[in-house]
Amino acid sequence: MTDLALLLSLIVLAMLVIAGALAARRARAWRIGRAARVDWAAGLMALPKRYLVDVHHVVGRDPYAARMHALAAGGLLAGSSLALIGLIPALGDARLFWWLTALAFAAAFAGGAMVGRRRYPTKPARLSGGRFQILPFLLAAYSGGGFLVALDASLGGALRPLGLLGLAFAAIGGIGLALQIDRGPMRHAFAGAAHLVAHPRPGRFMDERATALAPLDLDAPRLGVAMPEDFAVNRLIGFDACIQCGRCEIACPAFAAGQPLNPKRLIQDLAASLQPGGTNAAYAGSPYPNARPVAGVGGPGLPIVGEAAMIHPDTLWSCTTCRACVEECPMMIEHVDAILDLRRFQTLELGALPAKAAAPLMELRYADEPGGRPLTGRTDFAAGLTLPLMAQKGEAEILLWLGEGAYDLRYGRTLRALVTLLQKAGVDFAVLGAEERDCGDLARRLGDEAGFQRLARANIETLARYRFARILTADPHALHALRNEYSAFGGTYEVVHHTAFLDELAATGRLTLGALEAARVTYHDPCYLGRYNGEVDAPRRLLDRLGIARLEMERSGKRSMCCGGGGGAPVSDIEGERRIPDIRMGQAAATGAGIVAVACPQCSAMLEGVTGERPAVHDIAELVLMAVEKAGTAPARSAQVPA
Amino acid sequence: MSRPRKDPRMERAAHLVPGGARPRFDLAATPATSGRLRRDPRAEERLALVPGTLRRRLDRSQRAPAVSVVAVAAPVEAEAAPRRVVIAEPAFLVALVPDAPGGRLSAHDRQLFGAARLLADAGGGAVLALVDGSSEELGAAGADRVLALPITGYDPEAKALALNAALAALDLRHVLFPESAEGGDLARRLAALSGEPFFAGAESLSPKAVTRAARGRRVEQRRAPPRLLSLAIDAIAPHAGSLHEALPVEFAFPETTGGALLSAEFIPADPARVSLAEADFVVSAGNGVSDLDTFRMLVAALGGTPGASRMLCDAGLMPRAAQVGASGTVLEARGYFALGIAGAPQHLQGVARCEHVIAVNTDLHAAMIERAGLAIVADAQKVMPALLRLLGEEGAP
Amino acid sequence: MRIALLLSAGRHRVSGRPAPVPVELQALRLAADLAQTHGGQSGGTVTGLHAGPEIGPLTDALGHGLGHLVHLRMPAEADPAPALTAALEAGGYDLILAGRSGQGGEDTGLLPYTLARALGRPILADAAALAPGAEAGTLSVEQALGRGARRRLVVRLPALVTVHPAAPAPLPFAFAGLRRGQVEMREAAPSAPAPHEVEERPYRPRPKLIAKAAAGASAAERLKAATVAASGGGKLLVDPAPEEAAREILAHLRALGLIAPR
Repeated sequence: MTDLALLLSLIVLAMLVIAGALAARRARAWRIGRAARVDWAAGLMALPKRYLVDVHHVVGRDPYAARMHALAAGGLLAGSSLALIGLIPALGDARLFWWLTALAFAAAFAGGAMVGRRRYPTKPARLSGGRFQILPFLLAAYSGGGFLVALDASLGGALRPLGLLGLAFAAIGGIGLALQIDRGPMRHAFAGAAHLVAHPRPGRFMDERATALAPLDLDAPRLGVAMPEDFAVNRLIGFDACIQCGRCEIACPAFAAGQPLNPKRLIQDLAASLQPGGTNAAYAGSPYPNARPVAGVGGPGLPIVGEAAMIHPDTLWSCTTCRACVEECPMMIEHVDAILDLRRFQTLELGALPAKAAAPLMELRYADEPGGRPLTGRTDFAAGLTLPLMAQKGEAEILLWLGEGAYDLRYGRTLRALVTLLQKAGVDFAVLGAEERDCGDLARRLGDEAGFQRLARANIETLARYRFARILTADPHALHALRNEYSAFGGTYEVVHHTAFLDELAATGRLTLGALEAARVTYHDPCYLGRYNGEVDAPRRLLDRLGIARLEMERSGKRSMCCGGGGGAPVSDIEGERRIPDIRMGQAAATGAGIVAVACPQCSAMLEGVTGERPAVHDIAELVLMAVEKAGTAPARSAQVPA
Repeated sequence: MSRPRKDPRMERAAHLVPGGARPRFDLAATPATSGRLRRDPRAEERLALVPGTLRRRLDRSQRAPAVSVVAVAAPVEAEAAPRRVVIAEPAFLVALVPDAPGGRLSAHDRQLFGAARLLADAGGGAVLALVDGSSEELGAAGADRVLALPITGYDPEAKALALNAALAALDLRHVLFPESAEGGDLARRLAALSGEPFFAGAESLSPKAVTRAARGRRVEQRRAPPRLLSLAIDAIAPHAGSLHEALPVEFAFPETTGGALLSAEFIPADPARVSLAEADFVVSAGNGVSDLDTFRMLVAALGGTPGASRMLCDAGLMPRAAQVGASGTVLEARGYFALGIAGAPQHLQGVARCEHVIAVNTDLHAAMIERAGLAIVADAQKVMPALLRLLGEEGAP
Repeated sequence: MRIALLLSAGRHRVSGRPAPVPVELQALRLAADLAQTHGGQSGGTVTGLHAGPEIGPLTDALGHGLGHLVHLRMPAEADPAPALTAALEAGGYDLILAGRSGQGGEDTGLLPYTLARALGRPILADAAALAPGAEAGTLSVEQALGRGARRRLVVRLPALVTVHPAAPAPLPFAFAGLRRGQVEMREAAPSAPAPHEVEERPYRPRPKLIAKAAAGASAAERLKAATVAASGGGKLLVDPAPEEAAREILAHLRALGLIAPR
């Protein structure tokens, strides 16, 4: 072992000590957060799998970034670890061992070079500047230096001058990197690992969608989050895990529409609030578009939201809760949960809602319907159709949940199509009629947890009176609430979306479909169906049965873009530069499709609201009905045996 | 025989197209007057034809310039002179207190007279109008007697005291008020002052019973008409058909002292600042308007409240608060002037309650044109400056 | 400034379920704003008062910014005026606010006037905005008239003011306010039941007056009214010269009285 190699090992040791001290200081800051139930042991056991499989599955969507990260992180970890265990005399004296070390540092150097190439000469807008811009130099200095020292050691000190130079670089780069651990880019390394261990939604690593909001204890001393210490400790860790890659800001529909929301900046503001005397001055990424002026100061014990605080309320209310940012985040940060926690405080404690959002919540409180319309009017869309009522039948195989869309004239056509299809297929179904209340999705996303819980309990009580095998709904928001969020209040149901159900009917031959020739159709995934519930295949399978040309938009499936109708965004109505549905409709038109197929009343309403020359908007149920009617007029095909 | 005779040669000559070597006759052309006027169904149909549609559509709603070949003799308006009614010895008095804003009876006031006549005529009673100032229309409206109240300016408490004195001294079987802001206030003041039973917001009325809806229109309340009544708007038809004498009567009102009201100052609605929901006349711009400065000048010149379609608000050209429609503001305005608005269903929902709509749009088949009382198929961009010019010329004589 | 707010047992206009009356929540906002910004050194207090058998969802007013709610419990048929008068007299309020008119039962909007009479205080109707008057102990009230017009009235306190729906929207509901707020229940002294002379039956919608023909009009007048209403009088000009269009529009607007005559 050369003396230089020994010094390198000591440098690594020093880095470890510095990084450990800084990390411990930051970790102490996390402890102000509320206690969270975390299974640390299971999390630690699962860490390698979570990191190597789940995280890299997300990172791998950008192959350049994946290779860059594998080389840089892998090389850095491997080289440093090897250099450290080189202190063991038996290994340190082996030349082959230093060859290996040199190889690892070479890989890290290549990774560092890739980091540099991505940021120079021009940095993509989504990446942050500031401390991030010196990262490639530190990486290159440390890994390059380490490589030279290890090479020298592997050759038994034959390259001593180069080794000396390398040692100097390694010392500068290495200590530089270690100093980045509490505020700079390197924070993601240890906070990210801790976040993966203590993740608030461990189900995400177990092939669950795990998208249901956690219920709020309405007897808690403070409802929602006002200050950093109101966040659970594992949420605070999550904010620190952010590496500011900006994938969320590219995915965010509100950001694209010029509304004052940038998920990356939001997470950075939350992380900065953790620091006593924290400010948002160090942030060097893209700002909130059309940012409203805020003081930009925060810290433990200080409010997070407000004009005199870190985050402007308009930022909070711009979110459509589409979870696109969460889906794209390689560090698995839960942006939407954070926004909801903040909204809950604003709504429940302060009553500080956007002016137009207060009225629907008030109507919900006294009429169980956000528009203040009579519950008996929910079945008005079906004038002329026979709609069996649960109250009369008592039991049915399928309970059809109509949802808020039933009041909308346009969406009434969709529901009529669905009801007609159910009747044609001979499905035993019934509706609740006037007994159906709003599912509470709007109230919950606007932060009115009290309103949601009241509606959920009332609906569960109603549903308990009847016997049915499954709930069928055309509204993905209701589907999500009934399937995933009511279970916390004692209502567990098998809920099926109408696209999946119609697909099932078609597969078993209960519906005979004709071909809709020459129609070019693109399918817009509803966030609450695709991203929240992972149902992206059934609608496409169903569309393919219709004999149409199915085109895919650039963003589709679980990575689809929101229509702008979720999370109460239409009632909050935060001003931007463009409207989200206009952007989405532009993407649909770019495929050359003549029809945008939708599967959600919100998407239907938002996309139908786009003016000018554009593709027609049809719910899948309407297209299926067209195909069934076509089959009725065409010479009968050999019907399959009904299941 | 006075009927003119047909002369085929003359008729043929009338159709002769002049010029040309060979004689040509255009039989479709309007023939020269032949003494007797004839209908031309083809010409009428041509006029009623809606241009620009694929399917033949006829519009017989007389919107097309009603040029008929036949000069129809206008039906003589047989305005029979209204019957004069004098009730010299009334069995009882039914009093009413109209709002009469600016000294003129409102539609609601006239309905109040209708209700009062209903109660009075059932038993030979007379209608006594208690008004601030005298008016000539009271006789035609249905007043037998008129009593002027000694009130100047806005002082509802003094008015209530005066009414209370009249109520105590005169034999008034009923006193009727309009259930309007002013009338409702006055009725309740009088009810509290006199302790007389009071029935608010009557929706139907007969000498036997008055009714109204209560508890969110779930129940109907009914009772015999009490002494004090206020009448909902558009519930009873106004009185017409007979002229009453409107005889002024005298009454010695007691002196009143100044109330707690220190000052009252009328602030007229500033159309530029009033909220859309309260506005009386809204001038609204849509996609057909690109020059918003001219639009704003026009709104100010017309004294309207500015509105806009969703398109303009989305584009940030007009503030969100100006948006008219289902997702914006639903108007209660009397007049709506739509410039370059085609009329999406959501937008029309917002103007559903407007009494008068005037539309300027380039598309003849726009829904807004269909909705409008005065529809002008033209470019709003050109009409706006013309309107401004015209208003300017009028302003500077 | 001590402000009292009268709360009545309302019903939601569609569902018919017990609910606060919206205009009373608007009154609450006016009161809260007045107490907060112009309360003087001592700050203002706003107390809600309800007289009736049940408080029900009126506690929601606590979520809309009310700090203190007093429930004067009394049988449903009892006359609320004596109990309220006593409570208002005892409270020594500078300003008493009420809604324009209630929605349920015998609510005819008469109660504020009866109370004003009993308390010997002036009453003003239809406030859309409140501000302290220039002189101490006075209140400037913006009274909503139709179509956005206002009348500014200055009244000497103590006074009673009813609030118009043109007032600003209520403060949004905050659940925690409901949790924090306190309801004080007092048994009201027994009073004579209110005279009950109305008979009730299920509501049957009546047609509103549309045809303009008057009662007692001749057949010819009725026919004219009916036909004029049906034809709508729509007028269409296709591609007129801008000047002609402008003249038409102005003439039409003048005929309707929407703009001042020349």
